[in-house]
Amino acid sequence: MIEFDKFTLDNGLKVIVHRDTSTPLAAVNILYNIGAKDENPEQTGFAHLFEHLMFGGSINIPNYDEPLQQVGGDNNAWTSNDVTNYYLTVPKENLETGFWLESDRMLSLAFTEKSLDVQKAVVIEEFKQHYFNQPYGDVWLHLRPLAYKKHPYQWSTIGKCIEHIADAQLQDVKDFFFHHYAPNNAVLVVSGHVETEEVKRLAEKWFGPIERREITPRNLPTEPKQTEFRSLHLEREVPYDAIYMAFHMCSRNHEDFYKVDLLSDILSNGQSSRIFQTLIKEKNLFSSIDAYLTGDFEPGLFVISGKLTQGVNMMDAEKAIWDVLDEVSATKANEYELQKVKNKIESSLVFSEISFLNKAMNIAQHEITGQAEDINLEVEKYNKVSTADLQEMAQKILIKENCSTLYYHAKKQ
Amino acid sequence: MEKLNRSLPPHFKTIEHVDIPKSKQEVLSNQIPVHIIAGGSQDVLKIEMIFNAGLWYQKSPLISGTCNSMLNEGTEKYSAAELAEKFDFYGAYITYNNSQHDASVCLYTLNKYLDETLDLLEQIIKYPTFPEKEFKTILSNKKQDFLVNREKTNALAKEKFNALIYGATHPYANVFEAKVFDEVKLDDIKEFYKNFYTSDNCRIIVSGKMDETVLPKIESRFGASAWQTKTSGIEPEHKLISSNEKKSFVLKKDAVQSSIRIGRPLFNKTHPDFAGIMLLNLVLGGYFGSRLMQNIREDKGYTYGINSVLLSHLESGHFAIITEVGTDVCEAAISEIYKEIDRLKEELVPEDELNLVKNFFAGEMLRSFDSPFALSESLRGNLLFGFDNSYYERFLQDIKATTSQKIMELANTYFQKEDLYEVIVGENKA
Repeated sequence: MIEFDKFTLDNGLKVIVHRDTSTPLAAVNILYNIGAKDENPEQTGFAHLFEHLMFGGSINIPNYDEPLQQVGGDNNAWTSNDVTNYYLTVPKENLETGFWLESDRMLSLAFTEKSLDVQKAVVIEEFKQHYFNQPYGDVWLHLRPLAYKKHPYQWSTIGKCIEHIADAQLQDVKDFFFHHYAPNNAVLVVSGHVETEEVKRLAEKWFGPIERREITPRNLPTEPKQTEFRSLHLEREVPYDAIYMAFHMCSRNHEDFYKVDLLSDILSNGQSSRIFQTLIKEKNLFSSIDAYLTGDFEPGLFVISGKLTQGVNMMDAEKAIWDVLDEVSATKANEYELQKVKNKIESSLVFSEISFLNKAMNIAQHEITGQAEDINLEVEKYNKVSTADLQEMAQKILIKENCSTLYYHAKKQ
Repeated sequence: MEKLNRSLPPHFKTIEHVDIPKSKQEVLSNQIPVHIIAGGSQDVLKIEMIFNAGLWYQKSPLISGTCNSMLNEGTEKYSAAELAEKFDFYGAYITYNNSQHDASVCLYTLNKYLDETLDLLEQIIKYPTFPEKEFKTILSNKKQDFLVNREKTNALAKEKFNALIYGATHPYANVFEAKVFDEVKLDDIKEFYKNFYTSDNCRIIVSGKMDETVLPKIESRFGASAWQTKTSGIEPEHKLISSNEKKSFVLKKDAVQSSIRIGRPLFNKTHPDFAGIMLLNLVLGGYFGSRLMQNIREDKGYTYGINSVLLSHLESGHFAIITEVGTDVCEAAISEIYKEIDRLKEELVPEDELNLVKNFFAGEMLRSFDSPFALSESLRGNLLFGFDNSYYERFLQDIKATTSQKIMELANTYFQKEDLYEVIVGENKA
């Protein structure tokens, strides 16, 4: 059970405090309700580029990192298709420094040409490093547009292409900021060795004076239901063939999510899972293979990705995956197997609650998709799932006409 | 209400002292030392069984790692599939670590299933059977991972750099070709197990939520009697041989970025200059505000990231600057790296910058000792050197006492250009 206090400032900023006195540190985590899905299809990669610019100095503080490091703090951030999350940790005595820094960059950025030019170059190098200079690095640049035809999940957070990043203009950056970054479009979670009254005082002092902003309403296109199998073949300079299968499924806060999550666990969580035992250990068809969910806030994907064992034929490997999937649709899992994955979920939740920073991030995500209180209902929701639910989800999701398959072929030497 | 001055930083406190929770040492009846770090808010335990069975002790490549990762591939009582089934059912995790000197098996378990999971751990440690079929699968999969990794410029750069500074076959470099995967013999793995996974070659670290029932449970599985004894006098000898070749270029066709490594072999953390070098490393490339990061990423935009590291091995260590840069700016990036090194040799680090780095480092220590599990990780590294985590208390005081003058001296002693090795992996030479 994670306990917390919750209040909202007059400007709409939601603040949540979770006290954990086992640490001498405190975390300040701000989640902005803005992600790559909110981008213009002709200007993709913008939310992520923007995350970089948030470190380029704010209106009253020329350098973000220096004063934080000065007080023993550290920080980072990440961008997903749904949200952008900023976090820092400081010795508990220096909590106010975190409020000072985070509130100033919510108030306004410095917006310099120099910062934009440099961060464009940095992000382009990031693009190359992660997507073009790694074996299998470009998979998602192709799998997303194969699975999504209308919805903005069709592009990765890094963007569709390097040109979109190179073309970003300072005016676009300013517009983006004032239409998405605002107290009324964010959740602030403070966790660690802190007192709620003190957090309240600091929140009022530093964030209170920031005015509400008008947020561009979110009006995302709906992805039409997929009705036939899609496929794409790529050939690359990699040592082994690989296969990637993506199936459409529900969103993170849909009640079915828990059923599908346990279904993916039966297939691939841990060495006793069906896919691991059958396809790696018994049949030696894959050197590695996983099934997992993207867990997106909008309807997301159930993904299976595997690297083929040397010498195995792509069709045979694909058929073997379908055999496992067909079996989970045709026959109910037994109660023991379901209990096993429920135990694993419960255990992984217990382990995830060791870190005060982790808890802050999880609380913030629950608040933005529904309400923070839901974080304590997770185990119960998983426990309600039955073997019939698993079979129903498999029959609904793991079928050919709901599948997009990317065949990634190793170039013949 | 007083108007808020947002240009002025709030008052802050400098961390003078980091309180590192002490570990307690017990000994099982058969003399296995058990180090205990109690604490944490969750009812979970981490139990790590550590053996002097790392790369150092193998007579040819892949033996120690394969032995370590095969421990759970079947035991006298359970098949690999049954073991996996049981661990998963209890929501336990088991990890295998194989490093230069030690190798370990680490169990993460909920306290409520401690009995059940310890029984499994006992099977893995004391009664593994090393079945032929699983052996083949594991090696074949490891070989594929190895070959995929070889497609990465940074992996190639690391391999080449370590080979130059330690000698390719030394355990600290551990460089070998893919064909070795086809030459490993199962009998060598079994023999390695018999020689090194023994009760007189073992230590245990227990961390997490402790009560008086935990130790007796460990004693009954691992402490009551000696299980196997170490064969002495079979440890291979290793000689460090740094290459005379200081610069190396490795071609990677069609790479859109070049990987750069610049550095040198160096002493380890027992050396009196280590605190000073640590500070010097931080200023140069050891944190986000470092000079390399600020210059090469935040000013020039040549890279997504650049950093420098210090690595301590039991009998040596090294310093390395690591980055991946656009192919077209590789030469410019290297020239800036040397400029930053020269600046440290010629100018004193300003007092403000030095204080900032010292404060940041103290914060890092707070972060890295934040949980019993994190403490057990540091303890494992320290035990190898023969000390415990109280090492860091002295170390923090040494860091605080280091002056700019000292840093400049160290830069001149250790960062002479002719002593530095330089490896580039990419489509063309800088």
